[in-house]
Amino acid sequence: MTAASRPIYLYEDDSALAGEIVAGFAEAGLVIRPLPSEAEVMERAGAEGPSATLVMDRMIGDRDSLEIVAALRATGNRVPVLVISSRASVDDRIEGLKAGGDDYLVKPFAMGELIARVAALQRRADGEPRTRLVVGPLVLDRLARTVTRGSREIALLPREFSLLDYLMTHAGQTVTRAMLLEDVWNYRASTHTNVVDVHVGNLRRKIDAEGEPRLIASVRGLGFRLDATPHDGE
Amino acid sequence: MSTLLRSTAFRIALVFATALVATTYLVFALVYFEVYTGNVALVRSVLRDEATKARDAPVETLRRQLELRLTQDLRHIDYVGLYDAAGRETFGNVAPALRIPVDGATHLVRTAPPQPDAWQSENAIFVAERRADGGTLVLGRSLVYVDQLAGAMQRAFAAAIVPIVVLALIVGTIVSMRALRRLNAIQQAITRVMQGELEVRLPARGSSDDVDELVRAVNRMLDEIVRLLAQIKSVGDNIAHDLRAPLAVMRARLERGLAGSSEAQLRHLAGEALGDLERAMTTVTALLRISELENGLRRKAFAPLDLAAVCRDAFDLFEPLGEAKGLTMMLVAPAPVPVSGDGDLMREAIANLIDNAIKFTPAGGTVHVEAGLDAALVRVRDDGPGIAPHERERILKRFYRAESARDVPGVGLGLSMATTIVELHGFELRVGDARPGAVFDIVAGRAAAAAVAS
Repeated sequence: MTAASRPIYLYEDDSALAGEIVAGFAEAGLVIRPLPSEAEVMERAGAEGPSATLVMDRMIGDRDSLEIVAALRATGNRVPVLVISSRASVDDRIEGLKAGGDDYLVKPFAMGELIARVAALQRRADGEPRTRLVVGPLVLDRLARTVTRGSREIALLPREFSLLDYLMTHAGQTVTRAMLLEDVWNYRASTHTNVVDVHVGNLRRKIDAEGEPRLIASVRGLGFRLDATPHDGE
Repeated sequence: MSTLLRSTAFRIALVFATALVATTYLVFALVYFEVYTGNVALVRSVLRDEATKARDAPVETLRRQLELRLTQDLRHIDYVGLYDAAGRETFGNVAPALRIPVDGATHLVRTAPPQPDAWQSENAIFVAERRADGGTLVLGRSLVYVDQLAGAMQRAFAAAIVPIVVLALIVGTIVSMRALRRLNAIQQAITRVMQGELEVRLPARGSSDDVDELVRAVNRMLDEIVRLLAQIKSVGDNIAHDLRAPLAVMRARLERGLAGSSEAQLRHLAGEALGDLERAMTTVTALLRISELENGLRRKAFAPLDLAAVCRDAFDLFEPLGEAKGLTMMLVAPAPVPVSGDGDLMREAIANLIDNAIKFTPAGGTVHVEAGLDAALVRVRDDGPGIAPHERERILKRFYRAESARDVPGVGLGLSMATTIVELHGFELRVGDARPGAVFDIVAGRAAAAAVAS
């Protein structure tokens, strides 16, 4: 089953926002289906489990929908859930993740950020841990901690290795700067600096030798994408 | 007047006066009782003794003594009666109607006065003793003086009670009015505060009584509320201020894009407008987070934490940024620095300090990050232009940007965020001079802060 064929569901009572999300996903070639009620959410999640992905607003009416997530988890349901919320406080975020949410996105967000995170959740649900990542000519061995491009061995610093690992795990997918900060550097605050770009720049210089096509593309206003099919720089 | 009668002061005074009257009455009653019973007991014992002694005296002698007794009784309070064996009166002034039991014991009797012109009846003590010759001796003494004494005491009480009541009411009303006036002043101050005059404070007298203690506590509470309100207001002001700038730019860009004819230009400008929006959102988020942190809500998430490891993480993240700018980045964190704290937050605080140092150090400079020094838990030091002494306090405040920093991008929240986080942990952020350059120290505890910031 490819990621694209996995169903994505949306539980959102703000119809304007729901409409935008549906349209945004459609533009990206994805289908996200709005669910009308909590009962429907439980039914869909119950029927499809981890093969589906659920995007859910934190507040539906005056009800904290984390209770739904907690109820799902209590029945052993592992459907990946992304919670979107206007409650931005760190504690709210921690609460959201503790209740069983897999990711937490604060309003307002860029549509690309939401799509990238949903894609990452679908990928994460694929599950099986691999010791060797292969993307085009790039091979990363998690056990030996080596990276080769074709026949060329590439020496990376530990952080660069983690960064490349993350990009290769999400190959073909856009990963945002915020995702990289959170997942690679464990850094949960936003920063005005272009520090992520500097890291990616350094990594690029190491994996793309003179004359080789660039493997890591910049996605404007959003982040980066590592592709199996190399393409020329922007 | 009716307001006075209804006033709390008067009611307190009334209770006070009533208590005073009751006490006075009790004292008088006790004295009265003691005096009366004491006198009566004395009369009883004297009469009994005299009657006993006279039992064996010869009639003639006794009669002379009795005559003498009546002659000397200028106050007319004595009664005598001498009767022969047949019961005939031989001498005396006791009314014939009076019948005293002849038993040698004293009796309280109500009698007519010995003088015919006196019209009052009176109380008297009588004793009748059978004599050795068969006759009977009756001795009696009026209690009229004892009763008069008692009456005098009652009049004295009645006379005293009026000024006592008046005095108690006046003093009580004055004292309680003074107390109530104070409460009223406090009440009025509270009312004014409730009506929105938040700068009003409750009046304290400067003494250290209970009410003053309470007043001072409430005033401190008001100070804190005012501070929090000002903070909320400044958050709001700052958000509004900081949103207006990028929104203005955004609006101008979008208008320009719509007015233009080329779709490519519209796309470009819309993209830039998105960037502006992003910047505005980041600022709002940061401001809200600072406020959230200042409320101290996150302390519950504290856990054992190694600041040296946190420094390494933050350094890892920012090292390439400094190097890209041509700075030398140095990290010295040889040993663990165990504290209790929130890893995410401390990482952010230290990252902000490093970021700040990178921003303000010109190319060719060096940024040092050191953990576990004697003087500080964490030190971030650079050899840039440094911070003028008069700006050191202010740069830790929100939105403040030093004179020399006007042309460096940023919104001026990084150090404020760092300060907030550091203080939330009970540490202190100190700014000093590295000669040349700036040094930021995270110091454990506000007390242990004397010998820092060289």
